[in-house]
Amino acid sequence: MKTLIALTIANLKGLTRDRAALFWTFFFPVMFVFLFGWIFGGSGDAKVAIGFVDQDNHSAASAGLQQAFQNVSLLTVQTGSLSDEQAAMQRGDIAAIVVVPEGLGAAAGSKTPTSIELYIDPSQGQTTQGIQQIADKVTGAANLELAGATAVIGVQDKTLQSTNISNVAYLVPSILAMALMQLGIFAAIPLVQQREKGILKRIGATPLARWKLVGSNVLTRLMISLVDAVVILGIGLAVFHVQIVGNLIEMTALVLLGAATFLSIGFMLASFLKTEEQAQGVVQVVQLPMMFLSGIFFSFDFLPGFLQTVARFLPLTYLGDAFRQVMVNGTQVAPLGVDVAILTGWLVVCLGIAARSFRWE
Amino acid sequence: MTQSHESVIRVSDLKKFYGDVKAVDGVTFEVARGEVFGMLGPNGAGKTTTIEVLEGLRSPDSGIVEVFGLDVCKHPESIKQRIGVQLQSVSLYPRLTVTELLDLFGTFFKNRVPTKQLIDAVDLGERANARSMDLSGGQQQRLSIALALVNDPDLVFLDEPTTGLDPQARRSLWDLVKGLQEKGKSVVLTTHYMEEATELCDRVAIMDHGHILEMGTVPELIGRRFKERAVFFDSTVKFPAERLGKLGGVTRATQEDGQTVLYSKDVAATIGGLLAMADELSAEPHNLGIRQATLEDVFLDLTGRALRD
Repeated sequence: MKTLIALTIANLKGLTRDRAALFWTFFFPVMFVFLFGWIFGGSGDAKVAIGFVDQDNHSAASAGLQQAFQNVSLLTVQTGSLSDEQAAMQRGDIAAIVVVPEGLGAAAGSKTPTSIELYIDPSQGQTTQGIQQIADKVTGAANLELAGATAVIGVQDKTLQSTNISNVAYLVPSILAMALMQLGIFAAIPLVQQREKGILKRIGATPLARWKLVGSNVLTRLMISLVDAVVILGIGLAVFHVQIVGNLIEMTALVLLGAATFLSIGFMLASFLKTEEQAQGVVQVVQLPMMFLSGIFFSFDFLPGFLQTVARFLPLTYLGDAFRQVMVNGTQVAPLGVDVAILTGWLVVCLGIAARSFRWE
Repeated sequence: MTQSHESVIRVSDLKKFYGDVKAVDGVTFEVARGEVFGMLGPNGAGKTTTIEVLEGLRSPDSGIVEVFGLDVCKHPESIKQRIGVQLQSVSLYPRLTVTELLDLFGTFFKNRVPTKQLIDAVDLGERANARSMDLSGGQQQRLSIALALVNDPDLVFLDEPTTGLDPQARRSLWDLVKGLQEKGKSVVLTTHYMEEATELCDRVAIMDHGHILEMGTVPELIGRRFKERAVFFDSTVKFPAERLGKLGGVTRATQEDGQTVLYSKDVAATIGGLLAMADELSAEPHNLGIRQATLEDVFLDLTGRALRD
């Protein structure tokens, strides 16, 4: 036990004195949190501006519609002439224009079917869809009112999570998953380095049991994984106000499982790599595609079919999924039990391969 | 086992093959307690493989290998507790300091020498808190020797301990090895340097292609092959080779770069004849001297190539 602790402390000292290693283990994921936090940050209060053009001479109907649009919390509404608003849309100041044509009030009064006009910018796909839906809803409500009916069945907006899941809330667990993935897979590099330099062999000439050497490596990385989790979730919580809903035991267990799984992949890679240069390259070849394919930064529904199939085999997909489910009540790719089972499967298989083929020199 | 009380190492017909490569092909030797035993040979001769089998790092394909009377395959842990190992060119945890590394290695053993004492023994006091990556080559080599001594071992393996060191650093390492012997420890070392073997080793084994070609004390090895001594001199005038060969006692003569070497069984007769011949040619032999053949000559004679090739 004394030896295990001494080795673990030695590993931690080595790491904290290595600036490059510090950067990749701590600052890189933290940088990601800030970067994505700022890019997608505050989506909760991001409002979409639209223009409202009243050509119906402030009729009761047009005033009512204007009020209805203004009541939609997602929108800020500016008014002006059609040509002004079209210019504003060209500049990108507003995303859509609602035009109430002349005679709409009168037509509504006589219950003659009529319509408002909606100018949209098709280049802003999702925003456009949203605005079309809002416009449908607003006119729908107006129609009911005109018909003198009351909406019996309404739709109350509910999301699965206790609070609205913002982009940042989606990304923070993903970045943690990424950090653990890199932490584990990058472990291959120092191992290959230590073998190449004969450090493993030198230690093999002492009575130290080999499992202690491996054990101290695992212990070191697991400790770092917990620090990573605290730092990343802490920033998400403190700076970007992401609500963390999971319980501590579940989250800790998942962090450790994820770290162990990727560590076993790192060990497996180290079994097959001979030089440090090889390790540096192969580690990137493994981690970069995994980062982009596993749906941790965007849903992999956007990927072409065969890549989706690939994504469904990647352990990172399931670690990210498990984190989102447990930490922010995100929607699931697979049930939590399946996530855990798949991660455990990767852990067992890679560890088995590593144990069989790892070379000490 | 009959000799185990005086032999710390007993190797009999050790073989270790890697595929078609016969790294060690039937090696037999013993090392006595308190002895400094040298293994000489070019790269790939099988020295390192032999040592690594003794250290428990590799398992032998066949043969008997005992350290302290214990079979290396059956009792690697108890052997490792009592040996000290310095491997070729190992840089350990580069970001740990000298003191931290020695402390760490101390935890691997039951028996443990205080770190301060080890640092003093290898004269690294001034660099005790320097990271190992910042040490000079000589200092790193001294550190790796200190690491080999953390458990106060009875038997120390040094694999090319002075390769790459400047002459001064080499001398101080030699003193260290002599100090070990004075404390009654046994040492097995490999080296490329004949001078080092001559200076340090009680006995040497000359290895090539996985075999021990010759083994014994340095004077024995030289005496076995070279009955003659060498008479050498420089001259600007060329002495006719056929006449040199006929001088009294001369068995062989070589001339190269202005230096002439005469191997002679009768040095007095050779020098008398040489001086008469020089008179006759009105030439003067400069730097005239006599020396024994060296280990280098033995090695050349045994393998047909120089050791450093």
